[in-house]
Amino acid sequence: MVIDWLPSILIVVLLALGVIGALRRISLWRAGQPEKVNLIAGLMAMPGRYLNDLHHVVERDKYMSRTHVATAGGFVLSMVLVIAVYVFHVEQKIVTWLLLGALVLMLCGAFFVFKRRLNPPSRLSKGPWMRLPKSLITFALTFIVLTLPVAGVLPEGFGGVLLTLILSVGVIVGLGELLFGMGWGGPMKHAFAGALHLAFHRRPERFGGGRSTGLKPAQLGGESHGVAKPSDFKWNQLLGFDACVQCGKCEAMCPAFAAGQPLNPKKLIQDMVVGLAGGTDAKYAGSPHPVRKTGKEPGKEVGHAKGGANNIITAGLIEADTLWSCTTCRACVEECPMMIEHVDAIVDMRRFLTMEKGDTPNKGSEVLENIIATDNPNGYAPSSRTNWSADQNLPVMKEKKQADVLFWVSDGAFDMRSQRILRSFVKLMKAANVDVAILGDEERDSGDLARRLGDDATFQSLAKRNLATLSQYSFKKIVTTDPHAYHCLRNEYADFDTEGALKGVEVLHHTTFLNQLVQAGALKLDTFKGGKVTYHDPCYLGRYNGEYDAPRDLLRSLGIEVAEMERSRFRSRCCGGGGGAPITDIPGERRIADMRMEDVTATGAELVAVGCQQCTAMLEGVVEPRPEVKDIAEILAGQLIEEVH
Amino acid sequence: MQPNVVSLISIGRHPQSGRARRAEQDGRGVELGLKLAGEKLSVLHVGNPEEPVLRQYAGMGLPAMTVLKQDETADAVPALSDYLQQEKIDIVLTGVRSESGESSGMVPYLLAEKLGWPVVARVADIVSIKDGVAEVLLALPRGQRRSVTVKLPFIASVDNAAAPARQSAFGPGQRVRMESVNTHGEVDQIRVDWQEAPAKPRPKRLKTVKAKTAADRFKAATAKPQGGSGKVMKNESAAEKAKAIFDLLIEENVIR
Amino acid sequence: MSDIIRRDPRREWIARNRLHPLHDSVANAVQGEVRGPSGLLRKNPHQVGFIGPNGLKRIDRLKGNAVVGVGNKRSAANQEAVLPLHKVDNPDFYIVVVPDMVGGRLSGHDKDILGLAHTMVSTIEGNGAVVAVCFGESKETHYDLAGVDRLIHLSASEYEGFAPEARLTALTHIEAQLAPKHWLFPDSIHGGSDLGSRLAARLGERPAAQAWQVSGEQTVCRGGGGSLDISRQTPRILMLLEECGEAIDETRHEALAIEVDGISVSEPALQDKGLMDVDPSAIPLAEAEFILSAGNGIHNWDQFHKVATVLGATEGASRVAVDDGFMPRFRQVGATGTWVTARVYLAVGISGAIQHMQGIGQCDKVVAINTDAGCDMVKRAALSVIGDSEDILAELMLLAQARKKGSQEEQSDAA
Repeated sequence: MVIDWLPSILIVVLLALGVIGALRRISLWRAGQPEKVNLIAGLMAMPGRYLNDLHHVVERDKYMSRTHVATAGGFVLSMVLVIAVYVFHVEQKIVTWLLLGALVLMLCGAFFVFKRRLNPPSRLSKGPWMRLPKSLITFALTFIVLTLPVAGVLPEGFGGVLLTLILSVGVIVGLGELLFGMGWGGPMKHAFAGALHLAFHRRPERFGGGRSTGLKPAQLGGESHGVAKPSDFKWNQLLGFDACVQCGKCEAMCPAFAAGQPLNPKKLIQDMVVGLAGGTDAKYAGSPHPVRKTGKEPGKEVGHAKGGANNIITAGLIEADTLWSCTTCRACVEECPMMIEHVDAIVDMRRFLTMEKGDTPNKGSEVLENIIATDNPNGYAPSSRTNWSADQNLPVMKEKKQADVLFWVSDGAFDMRSQRILRSFVKLMKAANVDVAILGDEERDSGDLARRLGDDATFQSLAKRNLATLSQYSFKKIVTTDPHAYHCLRNEYADFDTEGALKGVEVLHHTTFLNQLVQAGALKLDTFKGGKVTYHDPCYLGRYNGEYDAPRDLLRSLGIEVAEMERSRFRSRCCGGGGGAPITDIPGERRIADMRMEDVTATGAELVAVGCQQCTAMLEGVVEPRPEVKDIAEILAGQLIEEVH
Repeated sequence: MQPNVVSLISIGRHPQSGRARRAEQDGRGVELGLKLAGEKLSVLHVGNPEEPVLRQYAGMGLPAMTVLKQDETADAVPALSDYLQQEKIDIVLTGVRSESGESSGMVPYLLAEKLGWPVVARVADIVSIKDGVAEVLLALPRGQRRSVTVKLPFIASVDNAAAPARQSAFGPGQRVRMESVNTHGEVDQIRVDWQEAPAKPRPKRLKTVKAKTAADRFKAATAKPQGGSGKVMKNESAAEKAKAIFDLLIEENVIR
Repeated sequence: MSDIIRRDPRREWIARNRLHPLHDSVANAVQGEVRGPSGLLRKNPHQVGFIGPNGLKRIDRLKGNAVVGVGNKRSAANQEAVLPLHKVDNPDFYIVVVPDMVGGRLSGHDKDILGLAHTMVSTIEGNGAVVAVCFGESKETHYDLAGVDRLIHLSASEYEGFAPEARLTALTHIEAQLAPKHWLFPDSIHGGSDLGSRLAARLGERPAAQAWQVSGEQTVCRGGGGSLDISRQTPRILMLLEECGEAIDETRHEALAIEVDGISVSEPALQDKGLMDVDPSAIPLAEAEFILSAGNGIHNWDQFHKVATVLGATEGASRVAVDDGFMPRFRQVGATGTWVTARVYLAVGISGAIQHMQGIGQCDKVVAINTDAGCDMVKRAALSVIGDSEDILAELMLLAQARKKGSQEEQSDAA
């Protein structure tokens, strides 16, 4: 070889530059707030998390998962070997052949990446990401040619100076992208930040098949609440933003984006990256936050957002409306191959808007004021909470003190439509002779709405008061028809349960509980003779709590074969009713509920079964003609064979 | 020139839950005060400085508020008028009626009488202040407005028609600077003799029939009660239907 | 027409035959006097009397009371004219009522208070007279029937319009001259409670506001934001809620004028600049008295807006109309929008989702225009009209325009 040392020098220099960049990047994350993470255990668990959990998510798209395995696997292996061969001059034949094999593998992977990029779907970001497959191919090809003489396939010194120069350019391009770009914010940043993100993830419970969906409590008191500036995020949240590969899976799933509301989760995460690194979003090459056609104001196009680690986020980086468009349905989180927590970030920023600026849009402030003054969002008299059950003869805990099952009625008690669901459920429980009691007027709003609207102070106050009430009575199970209350009771109250009010208590959604009753043979049900039925998975039941089967089992027990929608189970599309979205009411091109109803109609179903009063309200809000909407409890109660005594 | 504005605040009461809250009209008074004086607005309360509801007012973005410390049973007016006399004030804003206590709505009038200032009742907005004269919009029923000018200083009671109070944020509410002033109020002696009971729903007046003859009384007693399901017009012509609606509108006196 | 009286044998036959299907219409058509063939006056014994509630025929021998007709009305008018006159000579004390006089006339609220004043007079020992103090131009012609024993009418221009300070000065003069036992004000937004509070502050009296059960001794008034009933001794100054008493309807009163002299009104601090022109569409939905609300059944939105303007109604909308972008969000009526309190709610093309029905729960009269006779809104409505909204709104607009024109002409005639 003419200039034998050139590749080695280049590798070392670029590696060093990459490390410097990486250290700089790390210092950017360290601007965030401290959060305790087990560094060693995290790093140890990282490969497992990558191979197992992350791969599971990527595996949903077989093409991409294989491509990524080939490319990433080939790259990591070849990089290690490149360093061994070219820096430490390990010149055993087997190693060089191994290197060649790894490079060919990577080349194949890179080729498929290239192929996908020929006609990319709109969710993918363009810009530097279009360059990436070419850089990958350059890297692989360069090192293949470079290694061939080493491996003895080609004679030493083949090609002369010209080839050496070409190869040097190839080395610079390839390694520049892969090593330099990794540390200095190129597309390959995702590999470095992503690996560390997996190691130091804020919700380690999510790995190994677990679920962690409850929001983290806000620290109350002090100079500020919530996240005002990027540096108010925890450091590992900032790290998480950097892990984004801009694959746009979130964008493709986001109901708000599809409805034309000004939220694109991918852009949101990239805005956060802009914020933490400082600068503008001019380099962003994906779809923007949707802008309503009618009101195209200047400054909303890509390139106008400015931010810095210590600048207020909503002053220039993103519009507040973007944050309020989110329904907290977690479709983006569920879909993200890098396991980024979009919803946490959005609620953190909402907390600042609500608790510091007092700027919850539309009906938000009224609803929060009502929750504070009356413990329900609509400002009804707390003493009228049990009016719905006047004819139900339901025992109240205050008198009964203990029961097997505590029925958490939720704020559906005030809504005439939801009361039908409640009555049906009570009818079923009575038929099954369940020892049940309700809290009556002692119950309060679960705090779900207040929390999603960013008012964690009110949520915490409600949670503490509810827990104090619960701790006075003894019961084995809490059952509720409202998945939002279910989620709070099951996943979020534990942070405040100092007295152990919910210790050893099973919190169940009514579909789970009814399914247990049906399986135990406590309910006699007639077969359902209506038409085609489909089932809509409520976000807070499905994605938040993993309950996909009980409702389907129940429908099956009625002899119903569920005609599944294209988007069902963990991919279910939100009804638009979560996260306070109906209250903040950010205008879009369409309504989320209408889109969901189109999904329903596409199955040809005449009835859509739901397990949530909020979903019922949203779907019933779609203009007729449309399929009928019924809660599973209502369908079951309709098929109940009542014994005559 | 920014006027010196004082908003008086009291502890409200939620009509449904009976819980203490930011009073509806007082909140609007603070909002109007913030519009007129911005950060310089002084907010004044008579009572217990520890009351958590005060933080709901502070959550509107008040850096500080003054509390004239006084027992709950004491009369607020002497303490207020003493305090207001010391300061150089252009406008005092109150609610029309408090949501707790006697709710007579006399505070602005008594203060005005003591201070010798004019009082403007049921203000919807203060439009402008020029050369010591304020242009004020008064709220009338059905959303009507009357324009009035008044010389500074004056006292205004703020109506429900004024701009609603902004959202109260938790953070600023926690950080407000409470300046507590000790006053000694006299116990309201007259009120001690009163009896208070939860409000009874007032009976709705029935249409009484004053009949001169037995036959008329009999007819009135046996007449079909009104109400039930309404009248439905199906097959009449559009003109007839419109006429029926129009007659009802005239009968209800909503068309002038 | 000739004078010859002609008979119609067929009609006579039908009139005689009570089983004939046309009997009723023929028998009822015969009104006034019926003459026989010889020209003699004939009485049809079948038409005398009426069918009583138990189905039996009743013959009323009391002339003038039995049959509702023109004669009856005349007799009622006669009776009103002879209402007994309630005279108070040399009264021992006065109770002064200061009515609102909205539009220059005594309102229902004012009349209730005048009635209450008389019941108070009757519970207090001695010979009391009820005095009404009226300011400004008065169109009221029936002070006597409303229970006014003495009338103080101050019509000078300084009391006209919005003049609380001048009126207060006048009231303090009356206080000095008559030393009334009680001052009664309507507790209303029309100025009654303002004036009452001003007088109480000036005289140093502790008034009772929002009073609703008053006798000479005891007063019950609302307190604590409407959550308390405070029972207390009846104070000198009272501000009374609506329906606090029964209006006078069985007596006439003298309504003798009392002159108050020597009132000197100083330059007021409050200068009235007159009423503002308020666009009905600018009135907040929750405050509006008459709402024209649009739903999914509206297709011609220009027409809808025009009708709202012509009728002077505030516009409302159902959720669907808002979602579809035809109306702004703040116009949405319902549990998820604004809870309205309108007296008349005219719902066009709204079938009535449950949340919507909750939101209009406090409305007095609901009128529905809808194509579906079975929808919930029709069930709730006091008057429902089934048909195409566009046609009906068009007719409604014509009627409203015609009326406007008529009233304008009337005004110009009067001028």
